[in-house]
Amino acid sequence: MVGEIKQILKPTDFEGLKKALAMGPEKTIEAIKKSGLTGRGGAGFPTGMKWSFAASAKSKKKYVICNADEGEPGTFKDKVIIREVPEKIVEGMAICGLAIGADEGYVYLRYEYSYLISEFEAAIEAAEAKIKELGFKFKVTLFMGAGAYVCGDETAIIESIEGKRGQPRYKPPFPASVGLFGKPTVINNVETLANVPSALVDKEWNNKLRLFSISGTVDKPGVYELPEGITLAEVEKLVEPWGPLKAVMMGAAGGIAPAKDLVFSQEYLQKQGASLGSCTVVLFDDAVNMVDIAENVNEFFVHESCGYCTPCREGNRQIRDILSDMEDESDIEMMLALIQNARDTSRCGLGQTCGCVIEGAIRHFPEDWEDELQ
Amino acid sequence: MKVIINGKEYSVGKNDTVLEACRKANINIPTLCHSDMLTPAATCRICTVEANGKMVASCVQPVTDGMEIKTNTSRVMDARMINLQLLMAGHDDCTSCGKNRKCDLQRIAEEMGVRDRWFTTDEPYTVDMTSLSIVRDTSKCILCGKCVRTCREIQTVEALAFADRSVHTKLVAGADQGMGESVCINCGQCILACPTGALSEVDETGKVWDALNDPNKFVGVQTAPAIRAAIGEEFGLPAGSRVTGKMVAALRRVGFNKVFDTDFTADLTILEEGTELLGRIKNGGKLPMFTSCSPGWIKFIETFYPDLLENLSTCKSPQQMFGALAKTYLAEKLKVKPENMFVVSIMPCTAKKFECGREEMTDSGYPDVDVVLTTREAARLIKQVGVDFVNLPDEQFDHPLGESTGAAVIFGATGGVMEAALRTVYEVVTKSTLPSLDFVETRGMKGVKEATVMVGDLPVKVAIANGTGNARKILDRVRAGKADYHFVEIMACPGGCLGGGGQPIPTNLEIREKRMAAIYEEDANMELRKSHENPYVAKLYKEFLGEPNSHKAHELLHTHYLDRKTGEKKVHGGHKHD
Repeated sequence: MVGEIKQILKPTDFEGLKKALAMGPEKTIEAIKKSGLTGRGGAGFPTGMKWSFAASAKSKKKYVICNADEGEPGTFKDKVIIREVPEKIVEGMAICGLAIGADEGYVYLRYEYSYLISEFEAAIEAAEAKIKELGFKFKVTLFMGAGAYVCGDETAIIESIEGKRGQPRYKPPFPASVGLFGKPTVINNVETLANVPSALVDKEWNNKLRLFSISGTVDKPGVYELPEGITLAEVEKLVEPWGPLKAVMMGAAGGIAPAKDLVFSQEYLQKQGASLGSCTVVLFDDAVNMVDIAENVNEFFVHESCGYCTPCREGNRQIRDILSDMEDESDIEMMLALIQNARDTSRCGLGQTCGCVIEGAIRHFPEDWEDELQ
Repeated sequence: MKVIINGKEYSVGKNDTVLEACRKANINIPTLCHSDMLTPAATCRICTVEANGKMVASCVQPVTDGMEIKTNTSRVMDARMINLQLLMAGHDDCTSCGKNRKCDLQRIAEEMGVRDRWFTTDEPYTVDMTSLSIVRDTSKCILCGKCVRTCREIQTVEALAFADRSVHTKLVAGADQGMGESVCINCGQCILACPTGALSEVDETGKVWDALNDPNKFVGVQTAPAIRAAIGEEFGLPAGSRVTGKMVAALRRVGFNKVFDTDFTADLTILEEGTELLGRIKNGGKLPMFTSCSPGWIKFIETFYPDLLENLSTCKSPQQMFGALAKTYLAEKLKVKPENMFVVSIMPCTAKKFECGREEMTDSGYPDVDVVLTTREAARLIKQVGVDFVNLPDEQFDHPLGESTGAAVIFGATGGVMEAALRTVYEVVTKSTLPSLDFVETRGMKGVKEATVMVGDLPVKVAIANGTGNARKILDRVRAGKADYHFVEIMACPGGCLGGGGQPIPTNLEIREKRMAAIYEEDANMELRKSHENPYVAKLYKEFLGEPNSHKAHELLHTHYLDRKTGEKKVHGGHKHD
């Protein structure tokens, strides 16, 4: 069936690690580069290249971190992987460890997934034993987040694991050279790591096949495995909207675009001021007012800003105050200026992207704002 | 390395940040959270500029070869203005702020030509009055983190931190129990670091006005060594101006009955502390002996190294010695009832406010000192009266307790107490005259200094630290038994008292160095430069105290300490009656 989760769930039984062990670090990185695997966390950075930076960093101690802080509003795909094929995540981490020269890894699991701890830990233990059997030593620690959205940022994860306030670091230096406890570190998303063994051994594996988290005004929300580039029209057949769709929100950080003729490709979405990101899709039908969406997303960022730097901490506060009492066009202009400022001068991705849904809502749905101002 | 700044090519260092590169090109980018002394944090984002078409925080962005930097585009200006306006949201009244005309946020607003305010905020705030020394007003805090980094990186105290998140992020002391209940040592370096008025000294000028207007009170004022090398800055004089005579004249015009000098009791301290040191060396007492003049340092050791409290000299600080004598010896001489004698201290130091409030500082039966004013508050008194400080004629301190030597003046600089002590110890022990009075090795801004000085046949090993972060380096070695010093001088503030938390703002490295030069100049110009040659100190012993470390001296001039881990009082040194 179209959309059925197959590729990511296909067991690899540690064949990926076996192959990597046989190839050695350099060839493993080459193979990952050649596979075309890109990061699933949102930025889409080539995984092999990320690994090669950490591999070339000189250090006896290095770390692999699995980013399981799945906190983007509307995203729930990693949970499926954690529940269904946790051993593939650990296998991917071990392969990364082998490739970069790390013997230790952390899984940073979001606080809200606390109910997964016992089964995940058991799976990690079993996988560690299997890895040891194969003659490779790799220790994985499950580390719980405390509920902060910003701790999905790779450098905020590092700060959090180190016991500090969950705040992003300034880059450079990048984690590949100065990461966890000051050591070279690779941080990959759950879905990226679970794809690693498949990318090495599954001949049919396709990087463009992604897990989409789909929710909103639809009858069949859920996680679907779909190819990048699929049209909304095709997706609609699967998820069965309640009524005619008006807008597609790509998570709180990925912007919002009109539903008409929408294609789930980075190229298309970028033109609309949105991004594919981690394939988070929230669908809204005609009954939904975009000013309400803007208010909701702003509330989220006012709550989740780490408070470190001015444009995000203070900017979102001011956007909140403007939204609560809009008078005229100048209020909208001020919001757009604050959003541009946050994009230009915030330190981390959270701040840089915090305004993109509001901006898209203003840009694509002016009629909703006109109604509000009247 | 070459970079292009606003279209013009410049040669810059390969490790420069964009900010440093621009400064070298004489382009001053405004900053609020940046200090050359601290790890850059890039919280305020005011310094954002364009580099190769991208917006970057210039304080943390390294330059790359050929980088094209633009600081003058409307994109940069818009960002600077918006972030400035965002930070100004909680700042709606400069006239009632202690940092008025000394505030970086205000200055940048002026430079940027702000003519209207875009934002307001109704975020609840706290004014923390729990400390005897420092007020923390979170309504004025722009969360730049300079105080947090100063407290952590320079002083290694870590009393300050951020708590909560997003719009609720706030500066807290300890676990938000207030400055007064935290490990804060009251040094006030956070006040000097703060770009706004979020941190300030506890203002006690009102208490002084009340005393000055009370017909029953005889109000005497004492001035610490470091004031005379700094207070001129409050009146527009360049840093490093020596204004001892004008300061005395101004305080008389404010209305103090007598103007005394803490330098007198600094000389006295040398005799007490020098005698104590020689006694410890002779009798196998606890060594190294640590100086005890700096109340920030005292709370530091009480909090973090209570196991080393026995190493601390039992001498009170010169300020407290002065107070104890003022309410006994001086009261008797001037025929003033001790209860009517009101002692005001002018100190470069916020921790002195805490020190004067310590319960044990009441050996005369009254508080040794009634009110401590910082240099900044003293300048306010003078301004309030309208005294034209700069054009005043020089006047002399009153007698007695107004006479001093060059050895006392240098108490205001790191290494000064050590040098003063060496001048006296050398001559007392060897009974011969020092060939040169200047102990160059003990001078200067270096964090930790060491020297070995031959006193007769005895090689006396000394060490000096300024800033409690540097003190830690010495203390850890002493604790580990790896240091064989006899005498260690520690001042809590960088540069010593001249860089104290109560000094004029700004206080930075360059200004500290100028004040230091002024202090050594003052010393060089003094007729007498050794504490034991102060004839009035000799007279005090003859008339009142007997001899150094006498029973009476111990009663009035020595003290005990508190182990702040266990809450246990530490009395040592033999004579002290509690």
